[in-house]
Amino acid sequence: MTQGAAHLFASAALAWATLAAAAPEDEAERILERYEELRPTETDLVMYRLDWAASLDDALKRSKKEERPVLLVIIHARYGDIASGHC
Amino acid sequence: MGELAPFIVTSWYGHRDDDGIPAPVRAVWSEKFGSRRGPGPRGQSNVDLAVLDPKGRVVHSFDGFPRGGPGRGGLGAYTLGEVREGVERLKASPPETETRPLTLPDVGEKERGVRIFVRLMDDRMRAYQAPVVEAVSLNTKDLSALARPKKTRELDASELETWLSEVYPPGVMERTDPKTKEAYRVASVSGPLILSPIDPADGRPRALLSGSVRFTDEGPDNFSWEGELDVLLTYEERGSKVHTFRGIFEGVYPRFDKKRQEARRIPLIAVFESRPD
Repeated sequence: MTQGAAHLFASAALAWATLAAAAPEDEAERILERYEELRPTETDLVMYRLDWAASLDDALKRSKKEERPVLLVIIHARYGDIASGHC
Repeated sequence: MGELAPFIVTSWYGHRDDDGIPAPVRAVWSEKFGSRRGPGPRGQSNVDLAVLDPKGRVVHSFDGFPRGGPGRGGLGAYTLGEVREGVERLKASPPETETRPLTLPDVGEKERGVRIFVRLMDDRMRAYQAPVVEAVSLNTKDLSALARPKKTRELDASELETWLSEVYPPGVMERTDPKTKEAYRVASVSGPLILSPIDPADGRPRALLSGSVRFTDEGPDNFSWEGELDVLLTYEERGSKVHTFRGIFEGVYPRFDKKRQEARRIPLIAVFESRPD
């Protein structure tokens, strides 16, 4: 290896080491930025402003006590957790 | 949304041959599937909505997706119009009720866990873009898998299956058991992940968790989807316990299009945040 090549190699190694040390911090920033970008907004999550009851029984009990109407969503299926959205 | 504030909202699911169908559901289905009217004029989607008075009586019901489409205003305007009709049929006006603050699914008061938001970014069926929100409690074993690393170490995504198994899209009808009609759940989660320590921030040690994750559901055909997971964790200043974490999953879900007889590769994204924060 010539002196020039060795110098170039050393510089590259130093640059790589610096880059490698800085990369995790950049990556941490990137993850947090992406988290903010991808997390649903309040508008996206508006259905969670509704007053959900865990079951029809619970809703009927509360409805009678609080004298409030019930909005019932009926899903003709074997499975459907509409409160979470997984169905 | 303000017009829905007076309502207590709930859902029920089941089939017409089930035992113990609640009276309000029987009333709605009796009208919907009754021999005189038949399903025609009311549409025949598998979702119905009903307005019940405080005595539990159905005062109005309507199909969630009317035949011929919801009209110019879209599904929101159609639904609101039908709800208003229900309100008019209530004998007493519902009490004034303030709109509630945003209340997301969460873990129990003394529990630790993670909240997960999942969205299938389907540009043909935009309803799938609505976020699914799940809260999953984590036990000591789940959390210890993420314990502070002294040096870079490997772990398998299967160690995080308790919460990663929620990363599947909503309402994927073709991935249901033909006998039980239940959606296939995630059967296995796998993939090599790297957990690396990084410099502390605000005195708190941190680490990065990254890698590819593959999900396979319970179906008989080894159906799977995959993507990249990235999580930033902070730890207690002393010890190795996880303090908080934030993360993302960006993957692709291959959805089979029956009409075109082709698999569409649809972006599936998930966001994770530890609870309590």
